[in-house]
Amino acid sequence: MASEMRSIGKPTPRIDARERVTGQARYTGDVQLPGMLYARVLRSPYPHARIVRIDVSKAKAMPGVHAILTKENCRIQWSSGDSRNKRLLFNDPVRFVGDAVAAVAASDRHTAEEALQQIVMEYEELPFVLDMEQALAPGAPEIHPGGNLSPNNEGERAPETDQRGDVERGFAEADQVFEDVYISKHHNNAQMEPRVSVAQWEGSRLTVWASTQGISNCRRDLAKDLGLPLNQVRVICQYMGGGFGNKNQCHDFDLMASALAKETGRPVKLEFTRAEDFVAVHGRWPTKQYYKVGVKKDGSLTAIRMKAYSGMGPYRKGSGGVAGAQLYRCPNVKTEVYPVYTNMAVSANYRAPSYPQGVFGIESLMDHIAHTLGINPLDFRLKNMTEKYHDEVPYSSYGLRDCVTRGAEALGWRQKWHPPASDRGAQKQGVGMAMGYFGAGLGMSSAVLKLNPDGSLQVHVAVTDIGTAAKTTMGLLGAEAMEIPFERVSVLSGDTDRAPYSVGESGSRTTNYTGYAVVTAAEDLKRQLRELAAQSWSVAADAVQYSQGAVYMQDRPDRRTAIAEILKGNPDGLIAQATTDPKLKGVSRNSFAAHFVELEVDTETGDIRILKYVAAHDSGRILNPLTAGSQVKGGVAQGVSMALREELLYDQMTGIPLNPGYYGARIVTHGDVPDVEVIFVETADPYGPYGAKSVGEPPIVPSVAAIANAVFNATGIRIKELPITRSKILDAAPGVRLEGGRA
Amino acid sequence: MDAFEYASPTTKEQAVALLAGEWGSTELLAGGTDLLSLMKDYLVTPKRVVNIKSVQELKGLRYTAGSGLRLGALVTIAELVEHPQARKEYPALIQAAEGIASPQIRSLGTVGGDLCQRPRCWYFRNGFGLLAKDEQGGSLVADGDNRYHAILGNSGPAYFVNPSSLAPALIALGAKVQLFGPGGARELSLDRFFVIPKTEQDREYALKPNEILLEVLVPPATKVRSATYEVRQKEALDWPLVAAAVALNLDGNKIRTARVVLGHVAPIPWKAPEAEKVLAGKTVTEDLAAEAGQAAVSQASPLSRNAYKVQLARVAVKRAVLQAAQGGV
Ligand SMILES: Cc1cc2nc3c(=O)[nH]c(=O)nc-3n(C[C@H](O)[C@H](O)[C@H](O)COP(=O)(O)OP(=O)(O)OC[C@H]3O[C@@H](n4cnc5c(N)ncnc54)[C@H](O)[C@@H]3O)c2cc1C
Repeated sequence: MASEMRSIGKPTPRIDARERVTGQARYTGDVQLPGMLYARVLRSPYPHARIVRIDVSKAKAMPGVHAILTKENCRIQWSSGDSRNKRLLFNDPVRFVGDAVAAVAASDRHTAEEALQQIVMEYEELPFVLDMEQALAPGAPEIHPGGNLSPNNEGERAPETDQRGDVERGFAEADQVFEDVYISKHHNNAQMEPRVSVAQWEGSRLTVWASTQGISNCRRDLAKDLGLPLNQVRVICQYMGGGFGNKNQCHDFDLMASALAKETGRPVKLEFTRAEDFVAVHGRWPTKQYYKVGVKKDGSLTAIRMKAYSGMGPYRKGSGGVAGAQLYRCPNVKTEVYPVYTNMAVSANYRAPSYPQGVFGIESLMDHIAHTLGINPLDFRLKNMTEKYHDEVPYSSYGLRDCVTRGAEALGWRQKWHPPASDRGAQKQGVGMAMGYFGAGLGMSSAVLKLNPDGSLQVHVAVTDIGTAAKTTMGLLGAEAMEIPFERVSVLSGDTDRAPYSVGESGSRTTNYTGYAVVTAAEDLKRQLRELAAQSWSVAADAVQYSQGAVYMQDRPDRRTAIAEILKGNPDGLIAQATTDPKLKGVSRNSFAAHFVELEVDTETGDIRILKYVAAHDSGRILNPLTAGSQVKGGVAQGVSMALREELLYDQMTGIPLNPGYYGARIVTHGDVPDVEVIFVETADPYGPYGAKSVGEPPIVPSVAAIANAVFNATGIRIKELPITRSKILDAAPGVRLEGGRA
Repeated sequence: MDAFEYASPTTKEQAVALLAGEWGSTELLAGGTDLLSLMKDYLVTPKRVVNIKSVQELKGLRYTAGSGLRLGALVTIAELVEHPQARKEYPALIQAAEGIASPQIRSLGTVGGDLCQRPRCWYFRNGFGLLAKDEQGGSLVADGDNRYHAILGNSGPAYFVNPSSLAPALIALGAKVQLFGPGGARELSLDRFFVIPKTEQDREYALKPNEILLEVLVPPATKVRSATYEVRQKEALDWPLVAAAVALNLDGNKIRTARVVLGHVAPIPWKAPEAEKVLAGKTVTEDLAAEAGQAAVSQASPLSRNAYKVQLARVAVKRAVLQAAQGGV
């Protein structure tokens, strides 16, 4: 490793920023192919119903209609659409409003849509259930045979549990026991780019232009579900317009476009509307979390017990977990999570899938406990925060304490904190904080590096860059490892025919997985260069050194030979490939964060205005402070939205989603999002490339809880159900009369 | 959306001649910011769309001290917001206009379109009709999720709220509208333009199916101090939860007469004569403003989930009164 960093650690604009903002970038929706057809999808208007009859004859007879798929002629399984049950592209019974029942390919969008209107569907409505706990009650409508508790990883109908110590003993030892319930809602990922897929067959070979977070996984899934050899499937995604976790793997629309293209012999584009995007793909799982926590008078924890329900909708893709308890040191912990099927929209991964909802619960409750015991919430955290995973396994690197102390200092916590509801007027100010963590995993990924004879470097990686600046990061790592200027590096990505396997941009892992492979391949390039030089100089390879684009004899550092010189007789340059799969040894690897918020609540209108927001993060060494800072700001924006605004609402009587879309579900705009002061507490992690850990997902983790805690400090009102809307503040505000008529 | 015939007349006479005599088969297109989403969602399915953007007479914004402000129906919200004299004379109107949606929508959306936009009631927008009835004829709103629905004028069958931000301010400022149909023009005070529909076939305004809104006339307001106070859940791209527009006709410090109009609380912009009575003849104080707020909601009858809107309306009126009295800026 170079002793002094050249490329990393400097604020570097994205390598594709210019194309993106000038409209040159060709997103999947921009792909136009000769003879291309357009597809649209017909969806169930009922939350739960059996299909009695489908009649497509009128639609099929329409001029311009080329193909119609329904459950009657298409039995393709969408295997990544459900890890527990067999989910087809078109299911019967339909299990949520928005479940696909037919897809039409036609010469243009309007014809496709008119054809949908001509398809006759007859349903037999079935009883439905939206609420998680009701779904588990005896006699609840069964959404899948065997009941509504989704099987755990072992295939048993039992909750996912995690346990250490003995909670009952912990409660017995406690001076005081707290019990509480926290509720979070279904939130859509609301990424900017809608779902879209373009499929084209050339003979038996399928090319899909996808809007995916992972072209390698998308290709794997397409091949599996369509029964094709891997070399017959190519997935392309050069520019990607966001996903936040719901564009992993391949999707039903990729499969539908592929199947329609096969059926018609023409390329097919399938693009969802924003409303479809909200109800028919997936969002964050809603949760209901029951806590019981035991404490000693001095504030030390004796037991944490959580029993939580996660509403997965009718299909189970992601885990359904509820994270958070790991933030605290405690000898006795038991968590039980029940992932439940309901007839709502499907729930799966959304940025830090299990975290912000669970951290909202645990960090609100810990804040409440600190308040009740008369301990400053900051001191309570400093006393009880995790220092080892499960109190026993050391962290690979640990910056949580620094996040808390530096964040508190930046906010001015000691000066600003006051007992709840101290302000006398209608406008009440308060501060709140919360901690967060997120697993920073390691795993398998690949990179191919090509060092050209002129000394320029091509990095081939199958990243798609979902907004994390992954392409730029891969370039920076290549430049750093080769000790050459960043400008000499190009990144070839987003095409499975041009790049080796990459893990896919999910789990905040591209830098750690694929970046590791890039650095490893670069080491190999340097070895090859040294060997070439050694050969031509007729010396032993270890007598040759490499630095900054040149080789030299160990004892003659002043006589440098540039790469171009070494590669003169080598028209194709050098190629190195690495598939890496690093493993942790006896440690737990996590990113950490602490967020601090100062806000003002107008108790007459329930208005909440964030005055100051400090986000302190330990994501290891920061490779690119510019784009890492953007990750934090974006995560905070989503946290604000989740805390104060957003919710996909369902009508209890009809089971229909009432407000899909940006406006309806009240996704925040720039006007709602505060300026964020970002602090990076840089730890040098021994496992990540140049000490980096994860930064993509952690920023949303503590945000919701920090805001909720600040609302409590301002008003004395503890809102336990998201989002913290005006109506909830006003309904709880003491002294405000809400009934109509007389004052 | 369904296929439709498209017409682009250049005179108001041609425009009305292209409109059908019953609702549903034709629709007018101005900025299209609402109409297109209605069509995409199959909430309206016109056989013919009549684009009025080429009708010159519908354009233009004019202010004279003697006759006040004339807003052609096609004046965009952005044009209104940027007009220096309108800004000076009609703070309530400008504040309402500035709160609308986003710069993009303000530069496409028109004054006529804002007044004629269809309700945002999610049952209506999900295809259950303006009165949001279930299959048995019961109200989906009354027993359903009515958190954003009416707290006044809600004895049924309509529970939606009028979505226009401009309407309360314009009504408080005493605006009139000119309508034009096959029989010629007619003038209506704006507060009589909005009606509570009784059946699914009715619309929520007094236009006949083959009439168009020509222009809005706002009388001079030199002696009037006005303000709009809106409560929103989000800073942009969102309709207010509640708005209050207040126009105070002052005699020195004293209020001679007052107009108080609430928005987003009833199927029509809701006049609050009870609050006007409280204010008339008095000098504005914090207490008086609060009393007016209280009076404004004295007849409120919230539904199961929207009692908080009563509080919001009460505060909005109070704050609008104080803001107007301070000069309305
Ligand atoms: C996300 C979002 C947020 C918004 N927030 C607000 C808000 O806070 N406050 C607010 O007031 N509005 C808000 N709006 C609505 C917006 O102001 C209206 O869509 C716009 O003003 C409509 O004008 P338009 O010219 O585009 O109308 P169009 O869409 O062209 O027409 C709307 C309706 O009016 C009819 N119509 C139009 N002109 C005439 C006429 N001259 N005579 C008769 N009928 C006519 C049309 O037939 C149609 O039914 C919002 C809109 C969006 C999308």
